[in-house]
This record gives sequence, structure tokens and C-alpha cells, in this order.
Amino acid sequence: MSAALIVLAGLAGWEAIVRLGLVDDLILPAPTQVADSLWTDRGLLAPDLATTTWEVLLGLAAAIAAGALLGIAMHVSPRARDALRPLVIGSQAVPVPVIAPLVVLVLGFGLAPKVLLVALVCFFPVAINLYDGLRDTDADARKLLRSLDATRWQTLRMLELPSALPAAFTGMKIAAAVAVIGAVFGEWSGSDAGLGHSLLTANGQLATARAFAATVLLFLLAVALYGAFALLERRVVDWTPRSTPRSR
Amino acid sequence: MQTEVEAPGVEPRDVAGGVTVAAVGKAFGPVRALDGVSLRAAPREVVAVVGPSGCGKSTLLELVCGLAEPDAGAVEAAPAALMPQRDGLLPWLSALDNAALALRVAGVGKAAARAAAHAHFAAFGLEGFERSRPHELSGGMRQRVAFLRTLLAGRPVLCLDEPFGALDALTRAQMQRWLADALGREPRTVLLVTHDVEEAVLLADRIVLLSPRPGRVIATVDVPLERPRHRTDADVVALRERALTALGGEA
Amino acid sequence: MTRRLPLLLALVALLAGCGAKSDTTTAGSGHTEPLTVMLDWFPNADHAGLYAAQASGEYERAGLDVKFVTPSDAATPLKLVEAGRVDLAISYEPDVMLARDQGADVVAVGALVQKPLTALMSLGDKGVTRPQQLAGRTVGTAGIPYQSAYLKTILRRAGVDPGSVKEVNVGFKLVQAMLAKKVDATIGAFWNVEGIQLQQAGRKPRIERIEDLGVPSYDELVFAARRKDLDEAGASRIRRFMQATARGFQLVRRDPAKGVDVLLKANPDLDRAQTAASLRATLPAFFPEDRARPWGWQDPAQWSAYEHWMRSSNLLKPLVRGERAPLTNEFLPGEGLDQGTSGLG
Repeated sequence: MSAALIVLAGLAGWEAIVRLGLVDDLILPAPTQVADSLWTDRGLLAPDLATTTWEVLLGLAAAIAAGALLGIAMHVSPRARDALRPLVIGSQAVPVPVIAPLVVLVLGFGLAPKVLLVALVCFFPVAINLYDGLRDTDADARKLLRSLDATRWQTLRMLELPSALPAAFTGMKIAAAVAVIGAVFGEWSGSDAGLGHSLLTANGQLATARAFAATVLLFLLAVALYGAFALLERRVVDWTPRSTPRSR
Repeated sequence: MQTEVEAPGVEPRDVAGGVTVAAVGKAFGPVRALDGVSLRAAPREVVAVVGPSGCGKSTLLELVCGLAEPDAGAVEAAPAALMPQRDGLLPWLSALDNAALALRVAGVGKAAARAAAHAHFAAFGLEGFERSRPHELSGGMRQRVAFLRTLLAGRPVLCLDEPFGALDALTRAQMQRWLADALGREPRTVLLVTHDVEEAVLLADRIVLLSPRPGRVIATVDVPLERPRHRTDADVVALRERALTALGGEA
Repeated sequence: MTRRLPLLLALVALLAGCGAKSDTTTAGSGHTEPLTVMLDWFPNADHAGLYAAQASGEYERAGLDVKFVTPSDAATPLKLVEAGRVDLAISYEPDVMLARDQGADVVAVGALVQKPLTALMSLGDKGVTRPQQLAGRTVGTAGIPYQSAYLKTILRRAGVDPGSVKEVNVGFKLVQAMLAKKVDATIGAFWNVEGIQLQQAGRKPRIERIEDLGVPSYDELVFAARRKDLDEAGASRIRRFMQATARGFQLVRRDPAKGVDVLLKANPDLDRAQTAASLRATLPAFFPEDRARPWGWQDPAQWSAYEHWMRSSNLLKPLVRGERAPLTNEFLPGEGLDQGTSGLG
């Protein structure tokens, strides 16, 4: 409740600053102007929202698949871990704005480069969180399965993977929140549709309210994705993780 | 005060269904957990291993279950099932699936494993809780599910690591009675680790007392009492005192 | 029938001989070749003729399936045409010269706009109306070296000490910098795009065209191709494209309202009033002042003078003897391999 009040107060302050002429509304449009653009320009923004959403969903799917494979591979095989971990971590060191134009250079202006960029940005939290979660299992449960002569595969399937689900969801929620960034940078490097593209064209025409409207939609998209994964997590992880000493 | 001590280095007899630990030592890096420990459990015998925390009791069970190799000495044991200190129940599985875990790992199909586990639910006081998750069960119920799982592993030896340590006193007393009954119905070779001397007297045929780290056998006390036993029985009280004194003497 | 045959044959021969080139300017039946053109920026009034040509089927008739692609930064078009990812890039005359200086083998094949669009711009009543007023003030540029050079040239011509003027790199946020009063004036915004936008938004921009302030005139927007792509098939495509585009611009000249319509149809997020005003202002710049010259004409003498200015401003490395020409007019309507001059050197 109080959070809503803080937000409202912030919006009111923002509106006042613009209306009082303290800031040029071509630089910072008032909330009412942004809301007006959201409605008036919906014919332009709605298809752009659909485009970016599609890019993000495909990219997230790819990121989760790749991240899961990598996380499991690094956990199961020490050789894979030694080979892959530096690459996985290094992949995040190069800033997205630098990679994006290169990806577009290679893959062109269609859907593929955006999906790839989203996947690049998102696979890392999924892989690393899953990898950590797989290692971080209850000591007693591990001892128990060993005493029952469980195979490596059984231990993975019956203990490590379910045990790692909360961590995996943490990774997926993080990925969901940042997926939009990859899509936007991909669109910025070459596209003719999408909210990122819309943002640039609006800025190029001094249609700042529309640029802000596109940004609001990007924000809402990220929040919705995060919320969707959080909801899914509540459905899937319907047990209370035990607070017992961890083993490696 | 009499103590009867099993001399180390005795020739292991036929251990079909039994356990022989001969002068076993185990260290983890600089920490020596066990030093020259010997004990024997005949088939269907309940042997309690009592000692203070950190005296290597859990390590002893791991050696008997084959999860580790001793640095010195030898362990000869029939196949053993371990019940870890904190039950080891998987939080995402129902009580039924947890109980059936050993069977599933052994390759039994899901339906058959569930049926086998379910057959015991009433006897274990778990009727109606088949689909409950561990966090929805009371402490006592969790231990019973874990014990059922251990039983269903179908091995002649049970290694129980402080099964009632996390329970409150009332529940613990209840569970001690319950375990005595259960073992009466389904006798097995049992190595029971506990820090509770009274529990050892109530449940075991023999008590092995270990010193603080490095764990050495201080004394072995036979418990030739009839079952069922009660904590208020004079014999029980007397034996408890004897054991405590033997433990206390090694401060 | 037999009596008409020689007449028919003559007609066919006449038609076949039309145009002094060995290739045709119209395609065969239905088969189109793809051609990707990367614009210099977002679609705006500068591109009216392109979209008009597309909408009226000129490209199709020329046997081309043309696709326009938007870059997000000004350096990308030349990079991509050099990498062979696009067939044509719309870029700027100075950028073409700079790219060639770096070793890129690109050549300008036609001018989209015949004069500079870059302007010295400032806002409001306290705006700068003469370069002399820049003394002691702050000027924003997009951080591009030749814009710095424009500023220095302008100041020198106006007799202002360049040391007294503070130059700030505001990236591509030229308009925002002026609106936020972070700078007193900017160099790099276009008089026909940002100038019109600011006028329409009531911000009263003061606009001075830099060719009036001492900078040698140049073609702001040019079509650039990779010389390697100008083999027989590639040359044919470029020629057909340029000629169809010329027809597109002639369409727009005749009917500017139609030009606005096709731009808006292809890019619904454009503002109609802004685009109409911008197109009106830009129309004269689409065609060469010398009416004898075709649409797209690049004046070799003017290019030479501008190149000279670039060298004396230390924007280019010293001249290498035997360098190939940076431009060619051979693909323009009426120009051909055996007609007209083809550039410098």
C-alpha cells in the first residue's frame, strides 16, 4: 500500500516539474503526456510490443535450454567445467552494445540476431544458478542415496535436479528481468520493428512522449516476464526447502 | 563396577546378517575421528553406540554402510541401510514416495514401489498422510517415514544415526516405544547411534561407549533385559547409571 | 505480314539500340533481383523519392526488389556496404572520403542531396544569429572530427579566436543539449530535419547553413557502393536503381503531397506536419542547380574543392598519387560509360 503511495507521489512530483517549466517537455515529458501517447500511439506501439515480446520469448527459451545444458554439463563433468566455465563467464564481460552490431553484421536484420542477443544475455544467470544449485544439496540426502547404491544418473535425476529447482528459478527470474535489454540492443543495431526501434525513431523525431511510452512498455514487459516466472515457481516448487547443512 | 570389554583383534565369525568392526581407525586430514574401535553385532542384535558429540559415531556408521574405507583395521558387514541424522527425506516428494525411495533406486517401478510402501502405512501410523510433504508432517511422523524407507531397502543391517535427536522429549519417548515395537515385528541387525544413554538401555541388546574424539571404545555393556522395557524399571535405571558412570569416568 | 516484317524488325532494332549502354534499364518478364539499401538514418523527408519510386512500382519495373534498412548509428551504413552486407549505403560525402582514406574501396555513385544539410543551430531569443556571437560560448557537436573542423573554419572566417569557444561532444543528442541549455549552439543538426522539428515545436531555432559561413559546399547525402560490386551484373543493378530513384524524385517534385503520403505509408510513426514541412524545405536540394545535369549529379570540381579543404584541415592523410576517384556519375540517367566525366583523378 505504501509502495503505491510512494509511486503516486513520485509521479505527481514529476508532473509538477514539467508543468512548471523546470524541464523542457521535449526532454522529459510529463506522466500525463506519456499516458496520452500510450493511448494515442497504441496503433504503432502495440505491434512493436508484440514484436519485442516474441523476440524475448524465443530468446528466453533458447537461453533456458542452453543454460540448463551448460549447468548440468559443468556439474557432471569436471573437464567440461574447466573448459566451459571461463568461456561462460567471459561471455558476459563483453558489453552488449559492442556485441550487438557484430551479431547483426553476421546474422542480418531479421529475428535471429535479436533472439541470439537475448539468449546471450540470459543464458548466464540460468547456467550459473543451476550449476550452483546442483552442487548445493542436502548432505544427508546425498549420503542416503549413496548408501542405496544410486547411480550418478539417479542421483542427478532424483536428488540434484529437484533440489536445484529453486536456484534454477532464481536464474530464470533474473534472465526474465534482463531479457528485454538484449532485445532492445538487437533492435538498435538494425531492425524495422519492435519497442527498441520505436524508441529510437521517436527520439529521432523529437516525439519524446512516445519514446517514454515505449520505455514504459519495455519496463512492463520485463516485470510481466519476471512475474510469470515467479508464478510458475510457486506452482512448481511447492515444497519448503530445508535449512540443513549443505554439502558439495 | 564391572565392564565387559570385547578384546580387539578377535577372529570375525560368520557375519551373515551381522557386523564386525575390527580395530578400525579413520582420520579426515589432521582430525582423527576413530581410533582402534572394535565392536560386533550378531544377526538380529541391536547394538547402541553411545558417546558425546563429535566422537565419530556417524563416521562409524558410514564405514559400516560402505560409504567410506577405514584407514586401519577392517569392517565386515552384511548389506546395510543408512538412516541419516536428519532423516534425509526429500522435501519435494510425498511421504509415500519418500518411503518408496529405496525401492525406486533399486529399479522397482513407481506403481509397485508405492504399493509396497503403502502396505505399511497403517502399521506405521501414517494412514491418510500418503500425499503429504515432509514439511507438513510432524517430527515423529518424518522419522517414521524415514524408518519405513530404511526398512524397505530390504537390507539385513540398519544403521540409525541419532534417529530421535531432533525430537522433543515427549515425542522421543513415544518414538522409542514405537521403534522397540517395530523391531519386535521386523527384527534386523541394528547399529543405533545415540547420545541418550537411557534410549540405548531401552532399545539395545548391547551398548558400546565411545570416548570423545578420537573415538575409542571405553566400555561395552550388555543389556540382558526382557522386552518390553520401561524407563522406570529398576533394571533399566541401574544399567543406565552403570553406563553413565562408565562414560563419566573418562572425562 | 511479310510486308510489315522489315518495319517490325527495324522497330525492334531501334528499341534495342535505345540507351547508349550495353545493358537494359528495364527487366525481362517478372524476374526481380534483390537490392538492399541502408539509409543514413531513420526514414525522413530526405528519402521521399526512394519511397515514391518503390510505391509507384519503378523499382519493380526496373527488375529490382528493393529493401530499405534503417541503421541506428551514422557509421554503420558504410561499414556494412564495405562488408558486402548491403548493396548500397546512404552516407555523407566526408564519411566516404574518410572511409577511402582508411582503405575502404567504396565509391559514391550519386548524390541524394546536392548541398550541405548540416547547420549551425541555436535556440530561442538568446540564440546565436552570427558566428561572431560564438566568442566565449559553448558549442556542441556529435563528436565527429569534421564537425570540429567545420567549427574552426567558421570561427576563422568570422574572425573569432577558436580558443575562446568551448566545444563539447554531446553525441547524437544535439537537440537535447540545446533544449537542456547545456550548450549555446550546435553544429551537426540538419536544417531540414531537426531545424523543422524545432520550428514545429515552437522552440524558435536560429539556423545558419554552414556553406554560407565559409565551409566549402558538398553533397550531404550520397549513395555509396563497394567498387568490387560494380561488375557487370552489379553495375546494371545500380544503374537501374539510380534511374528508377531519379523517376521517384521527379514524382515527388511534381506532387510533394504524394511524397508525404508514401513516406507515411511506409513509416507510420512519422509525423505528418513535420514531414510535409521538411519535404517542402528540402525539395530544392534534391536536384542540381545546373539544370543540364541529371538527378544525382556529383560535381567533380566541388568534390575536389571539398577534398582539398579536408586535407588542409588534417582530416585526411596526404594525397597518394594515382588514387582512384571517389565518385562516379556513370550510373545516373543519361550518363553512361561513353558519356560525361566520371570523376577525379
